[in-house]
Amino acid sequence: MADVEPTKSLSGLLNGIAQNVYYNNTDITEQLLKDELYPELSQDEFKAVHEKMKGLIKSIATADMDHAQLEAFLTAQTKRQGSGGVNGEQATALSRFWKSQRLRVRESLLAQSRWEPGLRGLSWRVDLHTADSRGDAAHSCPVALMELELGRAGQDSEFICLEFDETKVNQVLKKMSDIQESIDRIVHRT
Amino acid sequence: MSSSHTKDASFLGGRIPAEIESMSKNLKDVDQELFRKILKAVVSALEGKDSREAMKSIAESSIIPQERLSHIVAGMYKVLSEAIRIPTSSLKQEAFREDLRELRIPEDFITDFSSVVFGNRRAALDAATSQNDPHLPTVEDFKWRVDVAISTSSLARALQPSVLMQMKLSDGSFHRFEVPVSKFQELRYNVALILKEMNDLEKRNILKIQD
Repeated sequence: MADVEPTKSLSGLLNGIAQNVYYNNTDITEQLLKDELYPELSQDEFKAVHEKMKGLIKSIATADMDHAQLEAFLTAQTKRQGSGGVNGEQATALSRFWKSQRLRVRESLLAQSRWEPGLRGLSWRVDLHTADSRGDAAHSCPVALMELELGRAGQDSEFICLEFDETKVNQVLKKMSDIQESIDRIVHRT
Repeated sequence: MSSSHTKDASFLGGRIPAEIESMSKNLKDVDQELFRKILKAVVSALEGKDSREAMKSIAESSIIPQERLSHIVAGMYKVLSEAIRIPTSSLKQEAFREDLRELRIPEDFITDFSSVVFGNRRAALDAATSQNDPHLPTVEDFKWRVDVAISTSSLARALQPSVLMQMKLSDGSFHRFEVPVSKFQELRYNVALILKEMNDLEKRNILKIQD
């Protein structure tokens, strides 16, 4: 029992820090983490642990460490003496935490440097244009209606509705394939 | 006379519009040169062009009083706009001419009307008038850029490609937004799917016409 509890509390603390710092969950406060996970520690003792873990996660996240880098980093940390160092238990918890959260933390950090509204989703519909106020359309032609959902992080979405005829859809698709080509060129090089 | 044989209803419908009635009364001593001038101005108005100058010069140079001229212009506009509403597959040239003959419109003028409705400018007229249908905005200009974030204030080594898109819409608005690569794949897939749906729809439609 005594072995399990500290590990659980530690992993709870790491995830709590991630919620607060990286996932914009303001409900998870430092005080809440202390009350729920470390009621036996004094305020100062908890603060020290909290700050240390927060700093470690930040170092790991900013460098976006892969597995090998993390192992090397944690080994170096465990060898450090005194209060700045990391014990084996903490190293294991950090390693486990990073394994499960790396992608999500990275995504959140990338989003912090994105200022334009992003494309959140799209929906579409293809209609057959058959008649209008001028009478029956001479040749009923398909029309694509598209709704783009755009939004900045933390803000409500904005919707744009567009209409395309077949020629326009074709043109857009051609541009998409140009974009794809240019992405592929970069992705292959790196 | 007209009721002696069964024929389709006039392209003007059951009741002849008042503008057209008064046009045919006022056309009597109009010569063909003037008629053609007016026709040209009316057609360009139908195409959405500004024909105020042309109309003004017609009014100034014509011996016909403005009052009568305005009846003629209104009627001609009505004849053409009503005729163009109906696809050429449904309105036959002969039926159109016959309908106009019944309104006692001189034969020469009927030929001129007919050349507008059934001539080679028809496609342009259809295209211009369809601009007036209710529409959602369309994309007028679409620019893009692919960026790779190398390093950011929160990530030392980001190396993350993203696409910046900028669209100018037909309502004049601009939209600029960023598309992460995964979203871009989704967008591209959906655009391709839309094109496929449209093609399928057209194929089905051709079959229907052949029935």
